Amino acid sequence: MSALSNSNWDRRNVLRAAMGLAAAGGLAACGSNNGRGGSGGSGTQLTQMFHAYGEAGTEQAIKRYAAAYKDANVTTNWITGNTFEAKLFSSLLTKQAPDVFEFHPQIQMVKSGQVADLTDIIGPVKDDFNPADIKSHTVDGKIYGVRMIDDPQFFFYRKSMLEKAKVDVPTTLDELLEAAEKLTTNKVKGVFLGNDLTPAINPLLWSAGADTLTPDNKPAFHTDAVAAGMKQLRQLFTSGNLLLDAPADYWDPSAINQGLCAIQFCGMWAMPAMQKALGDDLGVFPFPKVGDNGKQSVYNGGWSMFVNAKGKNVDAAKEYVKWLWIDQKQYQEDWATSYGFHIPPRTSIAQSATKLKSGLPAEGVKLFNEFGHFDNIGWTQAMITALTDAFANSVRKNGDPNAALATAEKKVNAELKKLFG
Amino acid sequence: MSTTTTRGVAQPAPAKASPARPRRGLRGNPTFNFWLFTGPFLVGLAIFVFVPIFWSIWLSFFDARFTVTPSKFIGFDNYKSMLTNSNFTGSLVTFTVFAALIVPLTWALSLGLALLVHRLRFMRAFFRSVFFLPTAVSYVAAALIWKMSIFTGVRFGLMNTVLGWFGVENIAYLSDPNPPWYWLVIVTVRLWLQAGFYMILFLAALQNIPAELYEAAAIDGAKPGWQTFRYITLPQLRATSTAVILLLLVAAYQAFDEFFNIISIKATWGQTPLMVLYKTALGDNQDYGAGSAGAVILTVLICAVTLLQGKFMGFGRGEDSK
Amino acid sequence: MTTTAPQVGKEPGKKRGDVLGNAGLYIAVSVAALLFLLPFYLILRNSLSTDPEITGENWKLLPSFQWGNISELFDDPTVDFARSMWNSMVIAVSMTVGTLLICSLAGYGLARIPYKHANKVFYAVLATLMVPTAVTFVPSFVLVSSLGWIDTYRGLIIPGLFSGFTCFLFRQYFLGFPKELEEAARVDGLGYWGAYWRIVVPNSLNFFAAMATITFISGWNAFLWPLVIGQDPSSWTVQVALSSFMTNQTVNFHLIFMATAISILPLVFVFLFLQRWLVQGIAQTGIKG
Repeated sequence: MSALSNSNWDRRNVLRAAMGLAAAGGLAACGSNNGRGGSGGSGTQLTQMFHAYGEAGTEQAIKRYAAAYKDANVTTNWITGNTFEAKLFSSLLTKQAPDVFEFHPQIQMVKSGQVADLTDIIGPVKDDFNPADIKSHTVDGKIYGVRMIDDPQFFFYRKSMLEKAKVDVPTTLDELLEAAEKLTTNKVKGVFLGNDLTPAINPLLWSAGADTLTPDNKPAFHTDAVAAGMKQLRQLFTSGNLLLDAPADYWDPSAINQGLCAIQFCGMWAMPAMQKALGDDLGVFPFPKVGDNGKQSVYNGGWSMFVNAKGKNVDAAKEYVKWLWIDQKQYQEDWATSYGFHIPPRTSIAQSATKLKSGLPAEGVKLFNEFGHFDNIGWTQAMITALTDAFANSVRKNGDPNAALATAEKKVNAELKKLFG
Repeated sequence: MSTTTTRGVAQPAPAKASPARPRRGLRGNPTFNFWLFTGPFLVGLAIFVFVPIFWSIWLSFFDARFTVTPSKFIGFDNYKSMLTNSNFTGSLVTFTVFAALIVPLTWALSLGLALLVHRLRFMRAFFRSVFFLPTAVSYVAAALIWKMSIFTGVRFGLMNTVLGWFGVENIAYLSDPNPPWYWLVIVTVRLWLQAGFYMILFLAALQNIPAELYEAAAIDGAKPGWQTFRYITLPQLRATSTAVILLLLVAAYQAFDEFFNIISIKATWGQTPLMVLYKTALGDNQDYGAGSAGAVILTVLICAVTLLQGKFMGFGRGEDSK
Repeated sequence: MTTTAPQVGKEPGKKRGDVLGNAGLYIAVSVAALLFLLPFYLILRNSLSTDPEITGENWKLLPSFQWGNISELFDDPTVDFARSMWNSMVIAVSMTVGTLLICSLAGYGLARIPYKHANKVFYAVLATLMVPTAVTFVPSFVLVSSLGWIDTYRGLIIPGLFSGFTCFLFRQYFLGFPKELEEAARVDGLGYWGAYWRIVVPNSLNFFAAMATITFISGWNAFLWPLVIGQDPSSWTVQVALSSFMTNQTVNFHLIFMATAISILPLVFVFLFLQRWLVQGIAQTGIKG
């Protein structure tokens, strides 16, 4: 509870603000009161940090789970806006850092001692987790995060529009370009890949037979097929058949729902909202093949829970994570299927999740299993930025893909050297 | 009490308080009063401005990733990596382009508005208020209007609607940097926000130009309009112009809000120096050492530019002579 | 309002029969005014429309006046907009009072109290103007967080009170303050402190009002610092709330623009009522060179 989070403004707060002002003159009050804690009386205080999920009810759900936990008083920081990473990283430097936070597995968090080893709480139920989700959270045999949800990302399309334009579901990038051309009218654009095209980056690598890193952590993205794919993407970008500057980005279903495009790249999470708006007029397909040696792909993103190793209550935080994300299966299923659709990383829950068993959700699950690629823990934020820059420079700006990839490779190598020596 | 009265009597015409004279009471003691008046400000300045500045300088010589209390001294490596970082050098180019566009445009528009409003006889206050009002709007709110209502890339944006009447295809102003429409968005938003403020400065300066100058010019046969503007108004506004240009430059240098909200940090163009620092230090790899090195470089640059401008245009000189 | 306009003297080129020139002048100024008012029109139109009206295929000139949008905004559970308005108000008011008090005293000290190192102190203050405050935000952030001031009004307000620029403007202003008035006060037996409060301040209210308006506006509109310091949504200012509306996962146009409209409203009032002092104050700030 921060000093500001009481729902009512009371006199004590006015007094504090006044004291703050007084401190400006005398600066006597330095650090005497950090504004947190204290409000709950006895018991441990924990803070958890989440980015804002778009689906209605998610914030209330997270707070409901937290309220059901008896051994500590858990406060939720729900970060809306696009600054979640910055907020998370900067607050981790401070005394007000969250005890528990969601993020993606990234090795620098482990190397800098930021996240706690969770092997002892995950170990006993390890076999119930998707092995890929365990692997992507493991460094040197220790498991550092609990996967909450897996989020496959693929294309959604309006069946009626493809039929009307006599277009088959594209299986190669060439076909996607053709489809975009045929589907574009003066009211509707063919394809939406997000306003900055970043969601297409990883799938394009995989679909071109490349990868972010090799198993022994060398850059694996600079291949001729990737460069050729980027040229095709550039072609699509300049063709006028791609929806650009949409008011909501790719994660939000409004572009396809409002009829601004016929095909949209999005995540499984938005499926319920799309089904509600479009009914049966909806299909899914994986990121198409790029070049001759490629294979269709799906990015299995997702979110995991981490414990701040530098926090004040590491053990209590681990207990809470164990309670919610390992023991409370009904909450885990509720979280994965009641708001947006996500795939539960636990086999036992995935099997019992009836909502994902039939129809379009089942097709999504099939794409996840058949074409899915998981996060690589060695692929860090700085490398992501380097590759994002390369794509921005050669797909959105007219740069040479090979040169851009070479620059990214250099930056990634520098980063790898810092991490692995 | 007695000391000051005596002083008043002893110095019937105290044009200047004499600093050398020692005083008995604290109340009249200039040194004590100086610190009494400036003390609170200086203490705060030391803590909240100087400490961060020196902390920045200190950090810039350390390998400070994921920490702000580093222990590994690495000399000038951070400076080297920032100066060879194409994002950082690119941001200086962005700033240069931005300044080259926004400074002359704001100068011309605010001066133009001031000249117009200055000549009005009816509804003068009304028009002045209209032009001044955008000053009240925040960069965030303005960025929002520009991005989501005027320059939206889809059919319902105002610009695309208007262009659509003439059969022009929808333009993606922000996603596609070729042609660089994003400059149109960024420059117009700032122009709208700040022109009114500088117009007020010019209006004030225009009112201070003695009418006799124009009368004398008229007698000498100067035609009202361009000639009087070129040979009387403009030279008389020189000091104000200099100040305005300096303020505009400093503001352009610190541009962040509208770029952050309109272009976002995921692009590689339209990234101002502050956005690159934000990305370096807070955004992704949390490299506080490199971020601080960048901050120091920027500070040195802005000092150099300011001093140079002062040298060429004479701003700041008048101050000491006062 | 008309009384506030300083009267223009006769000006050359404005001879009696210049009707045509005058008409041209008014046309030009009206066109410019329309362009300047356009964004305000968009805010009002969008904030009082429904989303389908905004995103529809044809431009609707006038909104359907959905006044319910106001209550919808304040009832929205994802962003506590009323709270963020209150936070901004508290912050802007405290910053205004604090900055004026601290910086005016310092400005007066630097301008008027004879002290042999006063110039050196002044140059130290001047030097801080060269360093863009935002450049040092990382160390400032860590400093403030190590004081435990994240998510507190203290953290949002106090670091912003020590504005070198405001101090500089006050100094410039006091340099031009008539010495005779202070000297008269001295004759009456007042010290520096007494003379300041009884003579200098009461005779400088216009300038104080101008500085107050400027400080209030910049406090209300600040973005980067509140973005970093206000971690918890309960400590968000209205600008941070707006920004998060803009990048939120689901875009609700009518709510976003209603939020924008309401966030601007207080400042428009401040502006309309204080414009007179503001205009005079800006003219007096000593940017005459």
